[in-house]
Amino acid sequence: MNRPAQLSGSITSAATPAQTALRRRGKLSRRDTRVAAALLLPALLCVVGLIGYPMYLVVSMSFREGLGINFMNPSSSRFGLKNYCAVLSDPATWHSTMITLIYTAGSILPAFMIGLGLAVLLNQHFPGRRVMRGLAMLPWAVPSVLTSIAFLWLLDASYGVVNYLLRLSGLVTHDIAWFSASQTALLAVTLPTIWKSFPFFTLTFLAAMQGIPAELYEAAKIDRANRWERFRYITWPGVRGPAVLALVLNSLWAFREFDIIFVTTGGGPARATETLGIRAYLDAFSYFKVGEAAVLGMLMLALALIFVLLARRPLKKEFF
Amino acid sequence: MRRGFVTVDAGRRSRQRSDEHHPGCRQDDSGSMSQPGGRLKTRLSRLSRRLSSVLLAGTLVLSGTVAQASPRIELEFPTWQAEEPGAAQFWKEAKTAFEQTHPDVWINLYQVPFKDFTDKMTLRFASDNPPQIVQLPTRNVQQFAAQNWLAALDDFLARSDIPATYTRLGDDMQWNGKTIGVPLMEYGMVLFYNERLLKQAGVTYPTTEAQLLKAISATTDPARGTFGWGATTMQHPNIYTDWASWATAEGASLYKKGDYNFTDPKVVQAIDHLRIALRHAPSGVSTESARQLFLDGKIAMFRDGPWIAPLLKKVRPENRPFMKMGMMPFTIVPGGISNSIHIPVQIDAQRRVLVWQFIQMLSTPEWQARFALETGSPPPRRNALTPAQIESHPDLAISLVSLEHARNLFPDVPAARANFNQISQLVAEAGMRLINSDTPTASILADLQSDLQKRVPLR
Repeated sequence: MNRPAQLSGSITSAATPAQTALRRRGKLSRRDTRVAAALLLPALLCVVGLIGYPMYLVVSMSFREGLGINFMNPSSSRFGLKNYCAVLSDPATWHSTMITLIYTAGSILPAFMIGLGLAVLLNQHFPGRRVMRGLAMLPWAVPSVLTSIAFLWLLDASYGVVNYLLRLSGLVTHDIAWFSASQTALLAVTLPTIWKSFPFFTLTFLAAMQGIPAELYEAAKIDRANRWERFRYITWPGVRGPAVLALVLNSLWAFREFDIIFVTTGGGPARATETLGIRAYLDAFSYFKVGEAAVLGMLMLALALIFVLLARRPLKKEFF
Repeated sequence: MRRGFVTVDAGRRSRQRSDEHHPGCRQDDSGSMSQPGGRLKTRLSRLSRRLSSVLLAGTLVLSGTVAQASPRIELEFPTWQAEEPGAAQFWKEAKTAFEQTHPDVWINLYQVPFKDFTDKMTLRFASDNPPQIVQLPTRNVQQFAAQNWLAALDDFLARSDIPATYTRLGDDMQWNGKTIGVPLMEYGMVLFYNERLLKQAGVTYPTTEAQLLKAISATTDPARGTFGWGATTMQHPNIYTDWASWATAEGASLYKKGDYNFTDPKVVQAIDHLRIALRHAPSGVSTESARQLFLDGKIAMFRDGPWIAPLLKKVRPENRPFMKMGMMPFTIVPGGISNSIHIPVQIDAQRRVLVWQFIQMLSTPEWQARFALETGSPPPRRNALTPAQIESHPDLAISLVSLEHARNLFPDVPAARANFNQISQLVAEAGMRLINSDTPTASILADLQSDLQKRVPLR
């Protein structure tokens, strides 16, 4: 009769150190959690302060109605949905959205192709390769404003070298006002963006190509694979992952591009280059419609989010 | 600096004293494994003392710096004219003179490019951090006033001779029945022309609109890179000034009975004439580029304010004799107040008084005359110049006559003034259609009128 009691007593006495250890571990783990939280706190505060608070301000401003620009006291205006109704029902918003998408695709796809082509060339062995690699990166380092000014001069209607060469070659008989004609302005603002964007692609592809073992190419040559086949079955699979990432990043940068368009055309002529970013800027700082500008900001955020969600699948496939 | 050194020394001494009083701490530090909790405590205590010393030293250094800097009151004065020929000299002299009479004040005069100026000021005001001395292009004043950013100056003005001696203190400086600024520069438009290009084309300086259009056409030769007319041909709010100038000069008005008047046949005709001129202007250029092309001898004629006159001195010597300034070849001269000076609402009473004293100094006959002679633009104060001064400056004489005949080209409708930026942007968009398309002028103006009524209703 005593046995079970003894047994239970022995179990109890045997379990006690384990339970104590578990309890101690639990205590330790709680302590660790607290330490971890304390260590994370500065980063969390930074995220809240630098991302969360501005985001809250944008959302808050988007609901403030009426003309007015006062960042220090946005709550002085009436709260309502009028800004959303005004912006989302305005055909100009959807025109700007379309211009933004065309501009993003029109600048990123050519930059991608040029970047890839140049990376393939710069991956070959030839004298002066290092210098050429350095030069290819140069446009990326040039500030957007300087790039814009250079292209303004190159494409100047009356005195620009591009028109001069076109006239000289007989391709055109009259001057083309690249930045001030509605038909050509979007193309004109896309060119400096391409020029500035392609080095990032080149850099990414080149770095990825360096990691492809040379033996694969040698084996392919032995198997009589031609250049295209070597690119198709060896190079491309090797650079595909970084390519997707570079494409996503560059698209997001181009999507919110402001400097080049603002300096060259300011969104004109007649809204031909008025992207969502430019329109938000004009609404806020020229027309003092901060609420509507904030709604445009929210729209841009939503579009960027949709794009990132769409890009998640290929990114996941390549990296995770 | 001296205080800083003393404080750092004091910090060191404090640490030494601390070590002397607690010799065991150093022992523990050197590797004893006993009493880990005590060691941590000692470390923390020393760290806290060190931090306190550093903080104390920093505070003393800062307080010393502040104590040394505090006697001078800064009046921030951003302007787009701090590097402009003529105006730059005037502002530097005004700053020096004011600082001499107010030794406790430092005017921080600095350059902000004109194209960024309004945006920068908007941001400063919106962030509740405006400069103390505010210069604004007058076309933007009402928009700033509508945000309650500009202080009413009526009390100051009542104790000054400005209302009695200035040529215009009219609607442009009024908001809700209060005067919110003092004009700095008034103007009537003038015609700048290159006499050599006119002569080469076999025409003379035009005195009527018909002659002007003929001369523009005759002097244009794109193959040689010369153009008869210079104007803003890229999208920019300055297109509004071009339109309003031409319409005003032809006796038309862009507003009527508190509403838009772009479909008025007189306005259509005026803009049609402007379109003829624009066909002979270089494409895709900003106002600044058009001015530069004129100075480089590539443009025969262009309309602008008299403030461009000092730039003519910078022209290459071989071109200088041919660069001239004359009256606009219209019976009505378009003009207005170019810019004005203001006091922000947000600044304290002491600075408000100091800024007013600066404004008052600028309004004295001596400084008004100096302004006119150095910038080549007429001063807003009546009779500030002597006949001898006018006679010795022929360009200034033309500016004065031009101002006498000037009619304000900016809107007199309060709602249009408060929304001027958006209106000028929409006009600029229509302006680009005028330049780049073959759409009839009447149709472009009808579209503009309907767009304006929809987006910026005035009633």
